[in-house]
Amino acid sequence: MTNVHPMPTPSAGWPQTTDGSIAARNLDAQIEGLQADATSGYSTAEARLRLIDLLVLRGRVLGRIADYRGAEQLANRFVRKTGSAESFLGRARIHALFHRFPAALDDLNIAQALSIDRTTAEEERAAIFQGLGRYDEALALRQQAVARCASFESLAALAGLYAERGEIETAQQLHVESQLRYRGVSPFPLALLDFQFGQMWIHKGECKKAQNLLQLAVQRLPGYVPAQGHLAEVEAEIGDAEHAVARLYPLAMSSDDPDYVSQLARILRDLGRTEESQHWCRLAAEIYSSLLVEYPEAFADHAAEFWLGPGANPHKALELAQINFATRKTPRSHALLSRALGANETLRSGIHGTDGL
Amino acid sequence: MSDHFSGPRALADPAADMSDVFAFPSPEGTKDLVMAMNVFSKAGPTALFSDAVIYRFRVRPVTVAATGSRAAFAVGSDEVSFDCLFDVPIDSKDDERAVQQGRCNFSTGQVTTFQVNDEGGGEGAGVRVFAGQRSDPFFLDVRMVEKTVASRKLAFKKVGSDTLYGTNVLSIVLKVDWPKVLRGGPLFAVVCETLAAGKRPVRIERLGRPEIKNVTLSWKQFDQTNRNLEIRDLYNSEDAFHVSSDYIEAYRARFNANLAFFDTLDGKVDWPLDAQGNHPLTNLLLADFLVVDASKEFRETSYFEIEQAMLKDRAHVTPGGRWLNEDLMDFLFTLYVNAGNGPRINDGVDAPIAWSSKVFPYLAPPNPPKAKPL
Repeated sequence: MTNVHPMPTPSAGWPQTTDGSIAARNLDAQIEGLQADATSGYSTAEARLRLIDLLVLRGRVLGRIADYRGAEQLANRFVRKTGSAESFLGRARIHALFHRFPAALDDLNIAQALSIDRTTAEEERAAIFQGLGRYDEALALRQQAVARCASFESLAALAGLYAERGEIETAQQLHVESQLRYRGVSPFPLALLDFQFGQMWIHKGECKKAQNLLQLAVQRLPGYVPAQGHLAEVEAEIGDAEHAVARLYPLAMSSDDPDYVSQLARILRDLGRTEESQHWCRLAAEIYSSLLVEYPEAFADHAAEFWLGPGANPHKALELAQINFATRKTPRSHALLSRALGANETLRSGIHGTDGL
Repeated sequence: MSDHFSGPRALADPAADMSDVFAFPSPEGTKDLVMAMNVFSKAGPTALFSDAVIYRFRVRPVTVAATGSRAAFAVGSDEVSFDCLFDVPIDSKDDERAVQQGRCNFSTGQVTTFQVNDEGGGEGAGVRVFAGQRSDPFFLDVRMVEKTVASRKLAFKKVGSDTLYGTNVLSIVLKVDWPKVLRGGPLFAVVCETLAAGKRPVRIERLGRPEIKNVTLSWKQFDQTNRNLEIRDLYNSEDAFHVSSDYIEAYRARFNANLAFFDTLDGKVDWPLDAQGNHPLTNLLLADFLVVDASKEFRETSYFEIEQAMLKDRAHVTPGGRWLNEDLMDFLFTLYVNAGNGPRINDGVDAPIAWSSKVFPYLAPPNPPKAKPL
């Protein structure tokens, strides 16, 4: 973390990674190949764990909740059928993905007791602590990982943690350093990292910086749906709402994640296109309600954002923000809860004010 | 939900991940040397070669430098290499219409172009090139290999389960008119590499002999010197013809330990270690390239025959190298466990799903998909 060099940019062809369209096809090809084995019973434990990871990766990149569900089913079946260390590790990752952090820690402990090595277990534990907002514990583990081996993965994970803690300067240095250590050709890790830093700048209100990084992520992976979604958010923020709407329409139509529908509803509302906004609003409310039945912890934060915004139901937003804050004590979950409390307060004073008239 | 992300996992590009390398004299009776590289194990139908990877074949003349217990090769410096590169298909988002073009650049300056999955391949300057999806010619029961190591007992069943049954790979096949194109010979050392393309290509992986990294080197528990070292990434980054002195002792220690373990599996010692604890096969396997005699007639089972001849101080009689469908796991376990002094060890898997052909491009066409995509 000492010598920080000027970062070459992808536009200068560095580091060269597999074209995004090839990488996306190959991700499908990997999943299909491994899935065939899993269904015919030829799969090794390593291959099943890999399949779970690849489904999660595709879900992340394409914004596809169906892939997360597929990974969850596979992980549950894997535990039931084998009870192996790898199966518990796989299920721990799925629990963490759906923000069921205590269950994730339980499964991780079982995996470690069975045979997963300490290094792997600590990396997983760090990710769970980070999700929970237990940043100091996560930081200690992430730093140990870097001390053990300062690789792209360990440095990028540490960079992401600093970004989440809001320690921007350190996060940026680590971001650059991790990229300099990247030795692969897969575009996914670099695009995911740029996306993460794009989000960091959005939270800091630095729209231009966020836009640059999100554009880099999309250059590497044109089909990267969450990056496209956040680009639209930034475009709307800097006054290019028409562009944002054009970007969001295909996402809202194709993704089963209601985030894009919700954003579209908000931007259309702000543009005064009320009727269209209401259509998307109803759809978002419907999808969020259904997802919250199955995955309350995972969707509480975004659903709360929706009902604080275009969903216009501060009371519901507060309930969800409380669930989210009970799940993870992060600065963002705290800020969301404060906003929800504020919105309810405003609502109450409005009602009282009206009553008083 | 989609925002929750706490660090990238190591994600290798499957299109840069080599599974096997083969080298054999042409079974069609011509004076050609055939070399093949497989990547992307268990590839689904949409798999493509990466446009960011150099798929490299390196060939050097080699001679037998010593025989007997100090058997060793002397590798010449007159190398000819073939770099295969691939474009981004114009319709790469469309499964049906994605047609990928490739080119093979020789280190001697010639270029041959080809279209992926065209069985006729491309031809020019004494080299015919095929690239495309094919049936994986290898077969083995990985779970029983793992069980053998975990239980420290041979665990193969009479009828095993082929881990690669019905799976496909991406293959690159070169058929080379060796007297015209290569330098020296007829004994050649062949190694394949994948490299990250760019101004200064970085080696991602190298592969020569079969099952060195997985079956032979991966187990850490027997290695008292480097018990916690995942040695394979380091090993991959090495130049097969010039292994750095920095880590060679680490590799040697791992070979010695793991080969000694395999020798214990039949309860007797067939490979006594020397005074320094070196296994008799270590030096030959550290020379991690296929050695093939291009002047010999094609044989289906000839892997390691040249090396075995060297150990026994006699002349080799086969082309060595490696044919596509040789029952490698049976051979390897027999070699490692009893040195051929006992019965042949059978892993219970004796054939691939589809036999390779004796006609270019040799590897069988791809198997149909087994399951619907999720």
